[in-house]
Amino acid sequence: MNILRFFPTYRSLLVIRVMAIKDIRSSLTERAFMITSVIIPINFLLLFLLFALTGGQAPTAIVLEDKGPYAQQFLSAMEHSHSFIIQQTTSVDAQNLMKKGQVVAIVTVPDNFDSLLRQGNQVQLRVVLNNLNVDFTNDIRRAVPLAITSFYANAFPNQVVIRAHEVDSYSHDTGYVQYLVVSLMVVSVMLGGLLQAGSNAAREYEKGTIKELMLAPASIWAIQIGKILGALLLNSLSVVVMIIVIVFLIGVWPEHWDELFAFVLLLMITFVALGALIGTLIRRRQAVIPLSIGLSTPVFFISGAFGPAVWGDQVTAAITQLQPVYYGIANFQHAFHNFTTTSTSPAIDGFILAGFAALIVVISALALSYSRGRGDVH
Amino acid sequence: MKQKENTNPAIELNGLTKRFGDFIAVDGLSLTVRSGEIFGLLGPNGSGKTTIINMINGLSKPTSGEATVLGHNIIHDTRVVYAALGSVPQETALYEELNAWTNLSIHATLYGVHRSGRDRKITDMLNLVQLYERRYSRVSTFSGGMKRRLALARALLHDPLLLYLDEPTLGVDVQSRRAIWNYILDLKKKEGKTVLLTTNYLEEANALCDRIAIIDHGKLVALDTPINLKRRYGDTVMEIETASSVSAQLSAQLRTLPGVSEVIQKDKILKVTMSGDELSVTGQLITIVTQEINIKKISQREPNLEEIFLSLTGSGLRD
Repeated sequence: MNILRFFPTYRSLLVIRVMAIKDIRSSLTERAFMITSVIIPINFLLLFLLFALTGGQAPTAIVLEDKGPYAQQFLSAMEHSHSFIIQQTTSVDAQNLMKKGQVVAIVTVPDNFDSLLRQGNQVQLRVVLNNLNVDFTNDIRRAVPLAITSFYANAFPNQVVIRAHEVDSYSHDTGYVQYLVVSLMVVSVMLGGLLQAGSNAAREYEKGTIKELMLAPASIWAIQIGKILGALLLNSLSVVVMIIVIVFLIGVWPEHWDELFAFVLLLMITFVALGALIGTLIRRRQAVIPLSIGLSTPVFFISGAFGPAVWGDQVTAAITQLQPVYYGIANFQHAFHNFTTTSTSPAIDGFILAGFAALIVVISALALSYSRGRGDVH
Repeated sequence: MKQKENTNPAIELNGLTKRFGDFIAVDGLSLTVRSGEIFGLLGPNGSGKTTIINMINGLSKPTSGEATVLGHNIIHDTRVVYAALGSVPQETALYEELNAWTNLSIHATLYGVHRSGRDRKITDMLNLVQLYERRYSRVSTFSGGMKRRLALARALLHDPLLLYLDEPTLGVDVQSRRAIWNYILDLKKKEGKTVLLTTNYLEEANALCDRIAIIDHGKLVALDTPINLKRRYGDTVMEIETASSVSAQLSAQLRTLPGVSEVIQKDKILKVTMSGDELSVTGQLITIVTQEINIKKISQREPNLEEIFLSLTGSGLRD
């Protein structure tokens, strides 16, 4: 195999340019597909974000029948436990909120709370629990005793002899949403790339224009790379919108902008090339859309979206290391939060991601080249 | 990009075979298309025409045999062949969401038309097919005939030596059809291009082609000029409309006349195919018929390709 044939000549550069421009123009005339390709990835980002925001903490009503300093201290302990969305209310209103399904639990601090504590007596905290949703139920079951411990450690420091001495790996905490939104961006870039490039490639077959490309005395590599470049530029529209949402609306500021741009580019190349491959093989836009969504969702869940993948079970962790989203999430977490979520360094993860990008571009061009001699282009 | 003159046959097929599993789509086909001729490939749907074309243009690899285009093996010299080949596929393969100029401009880049003369070439081609005024209109707004003309302009843009036209006037109105025929005839007459066309319209093959190959079940059934093919079938077809139905006895008697190759009787119409000295046969034929029955109308014409095709393949073209 002559390696020189992979290097673009001037004519191939012109072909790459014209294919990219052609695909951009064609996409811009088909507004429905264009909007779909931009909206769906952003929608994906916002959907999971809302899920995280609504599902992170349990809405809880607290009824303070005692207004003493210990009762106030206990309320403060609950508020700082990061487990509740606290609503301080009366007993009657709390019951109503529970009936309407607006709170998961009612915690009642009895009117003799302070006096019983001063006398060293046991206090019964009444916790009414809506145990319909086991996830929230368990949150309450875990968080109330933790809040009590925390209260006790502050209110009676001499009586609590065991204390956790926390040493943080990072200079600041990162919220669940702030962590999750970075993973969501990776999978949104994936979805956008698959949709855009997949649609562009499939359109050639649907409309029969692939024949014009197949019969041209131009490098099939240049044609496919041009198509990838066109989809990449179109895909960057939704990526820019996503970065604006994440940085300016959600307020997650990247620690390393240079890494962010480099890894965004690598990730876009990977998934745009994968989209071009899928579109070349499937040849129908209506099939590309559900397949892209169907592929992105499970990959998102197994790739360490909610926490480092290596914290999960070993089998899933091993499988997920075979695909690029895992390295994308690792690279993005480093770019945004300076986190290291894999056993390898960010540079190695970047090289692996670049390897995936190159490999998928090559496979995608080979797939187009293969269809030239297969005899099923009509 | 001016191609060098090529003295090789335009296309040579040698034992070309294509199998799809057990199904043989093309069965040991051998034929030669000469440089500078308009060559027609005729056959009913499913006869193997598209498979043959796909092997000629390299979109399908033959199971066995060889296809050379302008002396180049299509498998080994694909890009050289593509540069010399202009193609008008049946579905035109135009980017309908883009305008006419952009379509030609994309083609020019793909085919390496030099940038310095590109705009002039595009202008010339659009003028040739009378679409220059509509150069900035989206192709989706064009009629079927205009799209065909634009596809023809695109195929000619890189000055190919060999032009392949798949059903060039399918779905085109009569006026546009005539215009396209004139372009094709001019390509041969004025520019010496070789044209390979497939068509289901026998009238079209008759009007355009120097030679015709009839394909059925992947095999070459006949290859000759339209005139020779007609001659092979018979020189003259006489249609006699009678006052009442003709007896089977009379039909049988007519078949025994010298030079009569076929007698077809349908209600009150008698169709007699003749060859050789038609004048003497015609006289005898009319005498015999008038002895039995009154003749209302007599017409004499050349056999058409439909009749030839039917006699060769046993089926109509649009089966």
